[in-house]
Amino acid sequence: MSEPPDYLPDRIREQLFHDPRVAEQDLKVDVKEHRVLLGGNVSSVQLRHTITEVAQELLPGYEIVNETTVVPATEPEDEESVS
Amino acid sequence: MIRIAAVGDLHYGEGSQGILKPGLQHLPDRADLLLLAGDLTRRGKPEEVQVLADELRGVSIPMIAVLGNHDYHAGHEAEVRRVLEEAGVRVLEGEGTTVDLDGVRVGIAGTKGFGGGFRGAHGSDFGEPEMKAFVGHTKMLSNRLAQALAGLDADLRIALLHYSPIEGTLEGERLEIYPFLGSYLMAEAVDNAGADLVVHGHAHHGTEKGRTPAGIPVRNVAQPLIRHAYNIYTLNAHREVLAAAAGGIS
Repeated sequence: MSEPPDYLPDRIREQLFHDPRVAEQDLKVDVKEHRVLLGGNVSSVQLRHTITEVAQELLPGYEIVNETTVVPATEPEDEESVS
Repeated sequence: MIRIAAVGDLHYGEGSQGILKPGLQHLPDRADLLLLAGDLTRRGKPEEVQVLADELRGVSIPMIAVLGNHDYHAGHEAEVRRVLEEAGVRVLEGEGTTVDLDGVRVGIAGTKGFGGGFRGAHGSDFGEPEMKAFVGHTKMLSNRLAQALAGLDADLRIALLHYSPIEGTLEGERLEIYPFLGSYLMAEAVDNAGADLVVHGHAHHGTEKGRTPAGIPVRNVAQPLIRHAYNIYTLNAHREVLAAAAGGIS
């Protein structure tokens, strides 16, 4: 029996989190027919590329659309007076 | 005025080299102290934290850290701690430390903390051993936080956590996962012992600013949330402390 499709996004998200090349919990996964949409924040351009590669390994034959965002780590412009 | 730079959830791993270093260039001119609020690595591997340690080495202001859940994943948390401390980062777990910043003693009590939920909806250490262990861990760390805060001999006191002590800085996260993001027991510890500021991470989709029930400011500095290398918060010591630091009071 094939897997009910509704469980697929959570399974992929969990597999991405547990893959040592990714280990990123902050990912959103949506699957529509044979198209995988990835979202969320990542810390580097390299990790963003790796996520696409690993998702493709997990779901060969699916189109991987990686819309994750690389979070900037620039200096803050100002400071906040707390007390 | 004491300037506190703070960031958490850097999640260093393969390919992270150079992410933080450019943003640290002017840090010693802009802040007196750097706080790191846990999840410094992706999987808690010593080689991951080594990359971060190399970028922090040479930062000329005091650096204080707690570890986060990711830093425990590989079971090498003692090694992660050692690598950070070799780079000059003091790592706290249920402990306090005090730094002297131009005559003002700033005390920091730190713990990873843990989950459980919030007032009216907190788990209990009851039933299965797994549930007892889960809530028992939060209780133990919250008690240690209270003791570490109370033991600080300082003019300003800061609680440094990874998990959140309040719901206010979780707004934006899904309600269903709040029990995995923090526990009010840490807020209770802070409110009972007293503090001037609480800093935490862990909640990437949360809110930066909140307060404990007693009104102590709480700041969520998860890097994916603040979207900077760090944020800076300024604290004013009490007037008599500043006067003494300036030599006005013997």
